This record gives sequence, structure tokens and C-alpha cells, in this order.
Amino acid sequence: MKPEEKPKVAFFDFAGCEGDQLQIANLEEKILDLLNIVEVVSFREVMTEHSDDYDVAFIEGSITDTHNEERLKEIRENADVLVAIGACATIGGINSIRNVQDFEKVQDRVYGDERDHYEAWEKAKPAKAVVDVDYEVHGCPIDRDEFLHVVQSLVMGREPHIPDHPVCVECKLNENVCAFERDEFCVGPVTRAGCDSCCVNEGTICWGCRGMIDNPNEDAHEEVLEEYGLTAEEVMNKFDLYFAWQKEVRKDE
Amino acid sequence: MNKEKSPYLPENATILNVEKMAEREKLFEIELDSGEPLNHEPGQFVEVSVPGVGEAPISISSSPTKEGNSFELCIRKVGNVTNVIHTLEEGDQIGIRGPYGEGFPVEELKGHDVIFIAGGLGIAPLRSLINYTLDRREEFEDIKILYGCRKPCELLYEDEVEEWRGMDNIDYRETVDECPDDVCWEGNVGVITTLIPGIDIDLENSYTVVCGPPIMYRFVLQELKQKEVPDERIYLSLERRMKCGVGKCGHCQINGKDGEFYVCQDGPVFNYDIVNDFEEAL
Amino acid sequence: MKVIKKEDLKGFIDGLIEKGEREVVGVKSKDSKYVFDTLEDAEELELDYDVTILPPKKYFMPQRETLVEYKTKKGIDMEAVNEVIPRIIIGVHPYDLEAIKQMDKVFADSPEDYNYSEKRSKSILIGVNMQKTSEWSFAGSMGNATIDDGYDLMLTDLGDKYAVEIGSSKGRELLDEGSLKIRDAEPEEIEEVENIEEDIKNKFEKELDFSPEKLPWLLAQKYGDEDFWEENAEDCYSCGTCNIVCPTCYCFDVQDFNDISLEEGERMRQWDGCMLEAFAEVAGGENFREERAERYRHRYMRKGRYLYNRFGDIACVGCGRCSSQCVPDIADPTDIFNKLWRDKDE
Repeated sequence: MKPEEKPKVAFFDFAGCEGDQLQIANLEEKILDLLNIVEVVSFREVMTEHSDDYDVAFIEGSITDTHNEERLKEIRENADVLVAIGACATIGGINSIRNVQDFEKVQDRVYGDERDHYEAWEKAKPAKAVVDVDYEVHGCPIDRDEFLHVVQSLVMGREPHIPDHPVCVECKLNENVCAFERDEFCVGPVTRAGCDSCCVNEGTICWGCRGMIDNPNEDAHEEVLEEYGLTAEEVMNKFDLYFAWQKEVRKDE
Repeated sequence: MNKEKSPYLPENATILNVEKMAEREKLFEIELDSGEPLNHEPGQFVEVSVPGVGEAPISISSSPTKEGNSFELCIRKVGNVTNVIHTLEEGDQIGIRGPYGEGFPVEELKGHDVIFIAGGLGIAPLRSLINYTLDRREEFEDIKILYGCRKPCELLYEDEVEEWRGMDNIDYRETVDECPDDVCWEGNVGVITTLIPGIDIDLENSYTVVCGPPIMYRFVLQELKQKEVPDERIYLSLERRMKCGVGKCGHCQINGKDGEFYVCQDGPVFNYDIVNDFEEAL
Repeated sequence: MKVIKKEDLKGFIDGLIEKGEREVVGVKSKDSKYVFDTLEDAEELELDYDVTILPPKKYFMPQRETLVEYKTKKGIDMEAVNEVIPRIIIGVHPYDLEAIKQMDKVFADSPEDYNYSEKRSKSILIGVNMQKTSEWSFAGSMGNATIDDGYDLMLTDLGDKYAVEIGSSKGRELLDEGSLKIRDAEPEEIEEVENIEEDIKNKFEKELDFSPEKLPWLLAQKYGDEDFWEENAEDCYSCGTCNIVCPTCYCFDVQDFNDISLEEGERMRQWDGCMLEAFAEVAGGENFREERAERYRHRYMRKGRYLYNRFGDIACVGCGRCSSQCVPDIADPTDIFNKLWRDKDE
């Protein structure tokens, strides 16, 4: 099933912390296996060479201004396959917290006196809001094994298995004590699984970095959180950490 | 583990021939590497395996009366497994488990009229029985085949259909939902149900066998009701999600007030009288 | 019936752990809850637990399990896989023993699933009568407060000693393995066990208002009441928690996982759940149970009617795991079942 020619791949970053590329750089011995199935032509974090001759573009970070938009469109033109990696690129990520805040204040806080020099958008967007995206690797940061699975899938031209069910599935398979039973509250019940519930496995909660599933029951979950004693504002904060862009899109639908 | 023991281990098989039939469908002729015949009944299915991609349940499209040990599968590209199968060529290997399920009640049909109603890809499982009745023509009374698809270019088994058109010992009728202006089509234009009022059904002595997409059943069954065809004289073949094919994984269960079926074991062929009370069946 | 001192049982278990012929598994605490897990020391064993997060079925049908290994470099080469680890499982409550009896039937049904049955036959089940009950449990109403078979050995806590009922030759042989200090039970000890078993039946906070044999009939009546199912399923997350923690849920998905070389890999099955949205979706997108309410109804129908029709058992054993772990609190079978009883047509 292995194709004859290795696709050329390149990595690009937009508004983000580059933590997802760091995960890839940290694949260690597996990176050699990866190089057996793809040829990396551009990857700023690990190599100095750069080429614009690539088949697959990996996009990290969210799209936050017109300059970003134009650059992403150019990459889309160049690439046969475009893959968004990490929450910023797949769902707007942490950057989209600002989407629900007063933009004047956001600008003041971020740029201070220099704010007039920056033409940032009022709202951060994921890659798919600007161009067609072929594959997504969710998470903040991404899961290395899922990244490898998506790369394998695109090399073979098939759809990867990306779950569309809540994190609760994996959390229960891992026999975790539910955060709600520890008097903590999480958004795992509306968040896309695929992370092997890694945060809850370590004793914390799910913050929702993989974004909401396609058909979440967020109304029920907001109600439940309020029943558990969270204020309306606390509930919103839970949902806006990662879901701000998704929520707005769902509202418009 | 002992190889013979696992119901989940496929047998190796080799593709002998691939024929493109329409934009999304190809016909694969396959033989088990053991050289043994598949030993299936018309209407049964197999789980086709592409290691590294997965398995998909596919109905067997050839009749067991076909010469030689090979069998045929008509496969539409609709998902990961079938997309990859479409890239395979003569000589490539795949895995096969099965045959599984309850097929058409061939013995019950013998000595009766048989009316086939096929919509789109529904012709694939029906063809296993159509060819069986044609190969043993003397064992059946009148045979009528009503075949409909969306457009003329989606017609499957073109060569065989051409033969059916010319056969004088069967009544073959066809229709397309729509026909583009630049395509030559001499048959009927209209959905499959428009063919039903025009046929004579000997209610006492005939069986109707239906297969098509979920939406088609409702309308075809309504027409048959108009004609007063008794429910127990109608057989249909249903599609469901299946993972194991052997009644374990739970995916293909169909429920109703009066009970439940596993499509992989109790079907895929069902008597309409038995499933018509099943809200989830149709 | 036999009797063994608690400290002698501990020594016996430590002996089994040390011997290492079989993996010794028992109930251990995990934060404020309990789980079945490998024992490294008999001290870890908590036999007075209420309920574990997952049932012990995970030892016969693991959450993820390889069914087939394949190589695709030259043609295809596939081999069946069944990783069987012989185990002693200590501390199984009667409702879980009942669930295992039911699963044994499901997987033995032709064609037999050897990945399950070989793991099952290589295991020894040591049951324990409940000392504590989960506040969500209604095992008493389902007839599973105690059990007469399905175990190899059955323990009942008698203060500083355990009564040991031998349920099978496997159990008897296990007792013969070590130099175990065990004696026959005195008549008053037998009576004490009988009294304890009688008391357990009244310990449950939740109960059915009717006898569970009526469930198949009640569910058939309610099947078509769409408003009822919609109302009750409104807050369902479709998260599958109730499926995954259930001792009689066994539906699974199968997927291929390639090695990064793309030339070999494993076909694995993993637990699936009928409450998950994609459960009945076929390639091409048609979903035969698209609505939350349809899936919610399906779960109840399956527990109270379908598996009964097929195998003769009410497939809810009353453990209360689904209700205790459902975050929106909509999965309590006694709530739904009692509503069915309330709404019944005579």
C-alpha cells in the first residue's frame, strides 16, 4: 500500500506559539520513520533550508490579519494538500478568546501605545475560515501519534480516523474518576476525543483544546455546569477558552 | 492462536478481473487463494478486507450457478475501504470473510413468478438471484425485471442488461429518473415506481424481490400495496453498518416494537411481512 | 462451605502473586473510587468496596484488543491474534458475576468468539458478597444481590474471617494449590452467611416498583411513544459513558492501525457505544439512528428486551454504574423503568 514517491512537505506558522511544530520536532526516533514516507523541504524549527516546491503544507497558528490571509492563500495555491495542525489553526484556539472580548481593550492590552502600527482583525480565525483545509490535527498541543496517523492517511490518500464523539469515551475507557465526581468541572462532554483523555488521565480536567464535536449538546452542558453551582460567567469562561470561534459559527448556522 | 479458530481472520483472495461499470462502480471478479468455491447463496454478503484500511460488507453479485470458482462483487466508491479497493488491479490480493447472512429463499421461489425491482446499486445483490433464475430458467415461472437508476450513464451490467432486453423468456423493463438531452435513451423516464402500474402481477403465484436505496423502499412498497401484493410475498435486502458480520459487534441491529434483527445474521434479505412493523427497518 | 482467617487469605493471595503463574487482579482504590487492577500486594485489596468504575469484563474483552496482524509488503499476510493472560480476579460482586454469565453466552453463540472465550476460560473468578452498596445500585430488584453460581470461589466477610463457598472444580483446585489453612464451616457460620445474604437484599436505596420479568413487555408498549423518549433524552451528551461502564455492553468497532512503515499493522477492536452519534452510520453518510432520542431508546430496549429475546436474560444487572457516572443525570434505569410501569396499559 506504500506509494512509490514520497510527498514533499513544508511547515508554516501563523499566530501561535509553534508548540505543535515542537511536538513534531520531538518525535525523536519516530521522525526517521516519518522521513521514510515524506520528504521535508521546509521546517523552520529544525532546518535552515527552505523550498517553495512542496506537495503538502502544514499550517500552524490562527489567521489574525490580512497579511496572514494573503500568505495562507498563496500557500494553498502552492500545495496539493493543506493540513491544519493545532487548535489555533483548526478552531481558532486560544487566540479566539479575544473574539468575545472588547476589541479596544484587547488592542490596548496587547500592543499598548503601538496599537496603531498593527492592523489585527477583531476576530482570530482558523485556517478553514480562509481557505479549504484537507486534513486537521486537533489539540493544544497536537498529539504526536495522531499527527503520524494523519500523515500516513494523507500519504495513502484515505480519510484518517478522527473521532466525532466526546472525550468522555476515552476518559471512561481509561477508567478515570470523572472530574465532576472530584468536584471539578470540565468541557470533556462536548469536546472531540482523540487525545486519549490525556489531561484527565493526569488528574486535571478537559479544557476543550480539540474543539467541540460536530453536534455537541452544549445547551445541556451549560445547564449542568450551572446546576453544579458555576455562575453564568464561569460557564462562559469554560466555553470561551477554546470554543469562541466554533460557538459563533454554530450560532450563525 | 489457531488460524482456523478466529471468526475475524479473513482468507486471502486474488482479484482476477476488474471492470469499470459506471463512474462510481466497478465489478471485481475474485477467487479465494485456497482455490475453493465461496459456496454462497444468492443474496449473501462477504466482508472485504484491505489490510491497513479496514473491512467493508459487500453483497455478492454473482450467482452460485456461475461457472468456475470465482465470484463477483460490484463495489461503489463511498468510503475509505471502497475507495482503496477501486485502486486495486488484476492480481492484487484482498481478504475475504464469509459468505454471511441469510440470502434469498431460492427454494421457496421455485415454481413461482418472480418480479425483481432494483434501484441503482440495488441491482448488485439482486443480480445474484436474477442470474440464478436465468441459469435455471425452467425451475421458475414468469420472470420480470424492473430496473431503475438516476441517469443512463449509471446503468450497471450494461452487457447483461443488453442481453436481458433481447430475451423473450423474461419481461425486462427499465427507467431512468432523468435523461440529459444529449444522451440517447429509448427506455422509460421516471422513477422506478412508474414501472409498477404497467405490470401484471399474478397475486396467487408470484414473489416480488426488491433492493435499492433506503428512500426507494417506501415508494415501491406503497405501489405494491396498491397492486394488493401480499406482504409475505415480498422480499427485500437491507443495508446497515456492520463491523463483524457475525452477530457480535452490535452495529447492524434493527429494532421495532415487536423485536429486533441483526442484519448480518437474520438478513440482509428479509420477508416484508416480518420487517414491516419494524420502525427502524424501512 | 469453608472458612479462612483474613490474615491467612492475605498470605494465600501474596503467595499467588509471588508464584506469578497467573496475574492476580483485585479491587483497589483509585482516588475516591474503586477499580479492578493488578495486585502487587494483598494489602491493596479492598473487598468492602461499593462498585468499581469499569466492570471486570475488561479482562475478557479489553478496551482495545488486536484481532489480526497483517503485513502488506509482498501480497498480504494476515494472522489471527489472541493475547491471553491467565488471571485470578478477586472481589467480583454478584451483579458482575451475573453480567459475566450473560457475556459468556453472547460470545459463545456461534460463531464462537475465541478472543473472549479463551481469556474467560483461563481466568478464575473469586466473588465477594457485597458489604457496601452504591447509592445508585438496584441489584436487589434485578435479583442480583446475591448469586448461586458463576464464580469459582465466593467470599463472605465474617469479621476476622471469610466464609468461602466453592463454586467449581477450578475453585477447589486453587484452594488445593497452596498450603492454605482452611477448615470446614461450622453450622452457625453457614447460618451467618445465609443471614448476611438475606440482609443484603434490603440494603439498596434504589429499586424497581415491579418485577423485572415485566420489562420486555413494558418496553414494547413504550417503544412508539416518541415524546417520552425525546423528553428523557433531551440532555443526553451522546458521550457513551453509560455504554462503556456497563457490564453487559459489548458492542465494538474495528479499525486498522498501520505501523509508520505502512507495510504492517494491526486490526484492533475497541469498545463502541450505541449512544455515540456515528454508531449506526454507514459509508455514504446514511445514519439509521440519527436522533439522540432514537439512540437513547435503543439502549433501554437492548437492556430490557432485545438481549432478553435473544439470550433469555434481562441485560441490566442493577449495578448502577450508568446512572452514577452520567453527568447530566439522565441514565438511571430505575427512573425510566419505573416510569414505564407507571404509564403502562393494563
